[in-house]
Amino acid sequence: MGELVQTLVSGIAVGSSYALMGLAMVIIYKTSEVINFAQGEMALLSVFLTYMVLEYYHFPFYVAFPSALAFALLLGFFLEFAVLRRAKEPNVLGMIIITIGLEMILMGFVSWKFGAEPKTMRFPLSPYDSLSLGEIFVSSLEALTFVVALTLMTVLFLFLRYSKLGIAMKATQQNKMAARLMGIRTNRILMITWGISSLVGCTAGLLIAPTIMQPYMMWDPMLKGFAAAVLGGMTSLPGSVFGAYIIGVVENLFGGYVSIEFKSAVAFFIIVLVLCIKPSGLFARHYVKKV
Amino acid sequence: MDMKRDYYEDVRLFGSKVVLFWFLVLIAFLGFFPFLFRNYYVYLANYMAINVLVAIGLNLLVGYTGQISLGHAGFFAIGAYGTITLMTSAHLPFLVALVLAAIGAALLGFLLGLPALRLEGPYLSIATLGFGLTITQVIGRIGFFGGRQGLHAPELTIFSWHLDSDRDFYYLLITITVILTLVARNLVKTKVGRAFIAIRDADIAAETLGVNIMLYKTLAFAVSAFYTGLAGGLYAFVLRFIEPQIFSLLMSIIFLAMVVVGGLGSLFGSIAGACLLSWLDLELRNILSIPYLGGWLEALSKSYFSITGVSNIQLIIYGSIMVSIMLFEPLGIYGIWIRTKLYWKTWPF
Amino acid sequence: MKKTTFLLLAVLVVFLGLASICTAEEGVTDTTIRIGQWGPQTGPAAPWGAVARGTGVLFQMINEEGGIHGRKIEYHMFDDAYNPAKTKAGVKELQEGIGIFGWASGVGTAPGLAVKDYLMQRKIPWVGPAAGSLHWISPPQKYLFAVYPLYYSEAKILCKYAIEKLGKKRIAIAYQNDDYGKNGVSGAEVELAKHGMKLVAKVPVELTDTDMKPHIMQLRKARADLVLLWVAPGHAVRIIGTGRAMRFTPQWMSTSTCSDFPLMMAISKGLWRGVITGSFAQLPDSTSPLMLKYKKAFEKYAAKGERWGVFFYAGIGFVEPMVEGLKRCGRNLTRERFVKEMEGIRNFKGIFGRIDYAPFDPNDPYCRQGQKELFLIQCEKGGKAKSLTGWMEPD
Repeated sequence: MGELVQTLVSGIAVGSSYALMGLAMVIIYKTSEVINFAQGEMALLSVFLTYMVLEYYHFPFYVAFPSALAFALLLGFFLEFAVLRRAKEPNVLGMIIITIGLEMILMGFVSWKFGAEPKTMRFPLSPYDSLSLGEIFVSSLEALTFVVALTLMTVLFLFLRYSKLGIAMKATQQNKMAARLMGIRTNRILMITWGISSLVGCTAGLLIAPTIMQPYMMWDPMLKGFAAAVLGGMTSLPGSVFGAYIIGVVENLFGGYVSIEFKSAVAFFIIVLVLCIKPSGLFARHYVKKV
Repeated sequence: MDMKRDYYEDVRLFGSKVVLFWFLVLIAFLGFFPFLFRNYYVYLANYMAINVLVAIGLNLLVGYTGQISLGHAGFFAIGAYGTITLMTSAHLPFLVALVLAAIGAALLGFLLGLPALRLEGPYLSIATLGFGLTITQVIGRIGFFGGRQGLHAPELTIFSWHLDSDRDFYYLLITITVILTLVARNLVKTKVGRAFIAIRDADIAAETLGVNIMLYKTLAFAVSAFYTGLAGGLYAFVLRFIEPQIFSLLMSIIFLAMVVVGGLGSLFGSIAGACLLSWLDLELRNILSIPYLGGWLEALSKSYFSITGVSNIQLIIYGSIMVSIMLFEPLGIYGIWIRTKLYWKTWPF
Repeated sequence: MKKTTFLLLAVLVVFLGLASICTAEEGVTDTTIRIGQWGPQTGPAAPWGAVARGTGVLFQMINEEGGIHGRKIEYHMFDDAYNPAKTKAGVKELQEGIGIFGWASGVGTAPGLAVKDYLMQRKIPWVGPAAGSLHWISPPQKYLFAVYPLYYSEAKILCKYAIEKLGKKRIAIAYQNDDYGKNGVSGAEVELAKHGMKLVAKVPVELTDTDMKPHIMQLRKARADLVLLWVAPGHAVRIIGTGRAMRFTPQWMSTSTCSDFPLMMAISKGLWRGVITGSFAQLPDSTSPLMLKYKKAFEKYAAKGERWGVFFYAGIGFVEPMVEGLKRCGRNLTRERFVKEMEGIRNFKGIFGRIDYAPFDPNDPYCRQGQKELFLIQCEKGGKAKSLTGWMEPD
């Protein structure tokens, strides 16, 4: 029994870091229908700059982390403004390829600047301490990730639903032309979206960095986050978070009781099964095309 | 632009005598290519030809039918592993094994096409991505396929023709590539291709007009997988050694990039995109030995970046080329080509 | 008359020129020897790229000292991103373009296997592939000289030590699910069987895995008191870290791949302390004259930001036998001669362990396995290594 509970707790713990990346991808997809493959690498750049600020210039955490988040926000603004917006008559696939290109550029830049060797970054919490409840353990970093993921989800959910900006974002997604006619600067909305998404991604990156820090650290969380977002419905914020927990738990259960080798693959298998039954994910309303 | 007067003029393989002429010139050039260039360039050409096959296959799916796939490395792997194991275990001759393996890939493509009937956009891309990842996991697990230790390709003989050099293999590969390109061209020009395009542009409208969506969507997946599987089988002999990790997600992404950068829904684009990206893939590593630029980059890394990571400039350039082509022209290289042609046709107006 | 003499002279010159080209071996001129190597400088495997850069420093040092019998080494290193297609492309380009005498080291099993047949068919010597795979010597190849001790042997040595010296009863392994890991598993199984034991758990780790909790759960369920980590450094650190967070702290053992203690200590934030690994080369702070000499060369030639880590100077060690072989050939350098001289190497000691080769025998894989011995080290405070044993060979 204790083992089962531990497996479930572990699953939720690992799901939290997928959830943050999933949230980041959903925010962009919601407004612009772009699958952003550069999401992980945008966070990577912010995290490595934080590393530089912390380790080369020895700034304290309370300076380094907020400035990292601010940088991430600006990076998101910049990429949307300087690259994505410049695309001429974009189609969805073209946008995907642009983000993949961006991914390569950012990855190349980070590896060029910092080399390939694994790094280590200071962090207020040790990733190897744990909280325990009887025989159940969860590392304190994961507990923090869990709290952050849920908080961000709630804040973003409320923000998108009730704030003026959030409603403008929704309008942009539903009908760009109409939104413009109503006086919404859709370009600016898209830019803000990218900024917020980059900010969320950067948070995920900062929480991953204490355990692993090298140029390829964000690739796998990004994929899992994407998978989680799809499972949850790609347009639903709570959906992506719960999708991430489902993936984390399934992976851990499968790894613990069936086969550890197919642990990563089984998540995708489950997703295909779910999508066969609910083609738009678990939590999104199925969109029926009207002719 | 010439006027087309009847249907047969439209489905003709070569639009005009001029096109036929240039096609023959191209064939002649390809025939003499190994005598004009060093063996290394023949290897490069082989690598490109493989990618051209994949890109054409993927374009039938992505560009013509409008379905996305991030799992084509999976079909590629099935082709490669199928061909080698059929040759070594069942002792089938190469061409038979190759075609059988490709048919195997096509069957799986058909199966993957079934969920695709209900999925689109990101949902389909995750489903196909999962397929690609799972295939390599499964292959790596099964000892019969050499597991994670990989497999060596056997000696290659077709009837009494022993292909042991890149040049021999080049002729086989180019023949297959040219034939399959023509087949693809015929396919898209005729009923099947029109059905694909109809599905891409408006699937519901297509269905009301009597296009069997279930048939054609799964067919698109199967045909695409067939091309990719065939290319995979040939790739095993270009590399002569395969292991599961070669067929990574990155490979699927690069395949997709070839199609999109080349130009969606254009065979010429697929060829150009595949050639450009595979050339960059293999040749960018020499960037630091280009005179002036190489030295300048090294000096730059010394003062601002790290010299140990200087090779990563490759990634930056690769990415920048992809981004700039897509920013400039949504139809990719094909779009640029059309524009240039139009400019000179109408010049000086 | 004048015309015919001139013509004759011209013919003579051409003939002599041709003759001299015919006698010289590919990749060797009067003043240079061309040697190539691949190593990932980009992509996920890029940390291993240090090997190829280390080799470069050794060659630079040799050239500065006057080269080998008056010939300077022309070193051609390229980045293959650990992608076999790129490895093959690069090898072909250099081999067929400018002509390479022989290939030094080269990181990785898969890239190496992609070019092995190509090099062997053309009878091009290749010394010291940087991976301890059984593929290099089974079957043995006349022109391929392995240096890196087999992962298989390393597992045997580690297990033997665990059983006999540490008295461990429940040994488990976490292994990377590929050639590297599987070699480790089979070595451990053979050695344990000899002592009438079995692995209590075999936990595969996929390259893409990031979450190690299920792995720790399995190890913990098996109540292992010693765990072999046959994985890449990043995974090893995550396993130990996750184990620590879940209060699972057996004795950890790992391979020479994770024997770069200063790095391992840094990325594990100190958790690597106490881990035992194999080591195939002298320790980084060794004060043997040869190491000091190399270290000096490192300080002189290595790029800014390069670190004197195990893999950097392993790049030197992998090619030491090759340099020795070249030296023994003297002025008259041909490939056949080189292979012959390599076969004559016995009891050669550089910064690695003892290296022996033997005349080619298709039935004896060990005629092409240079180094067989290893020693065990334990990580101490501050990333210092303590030798636990002297050089050991598996029996």
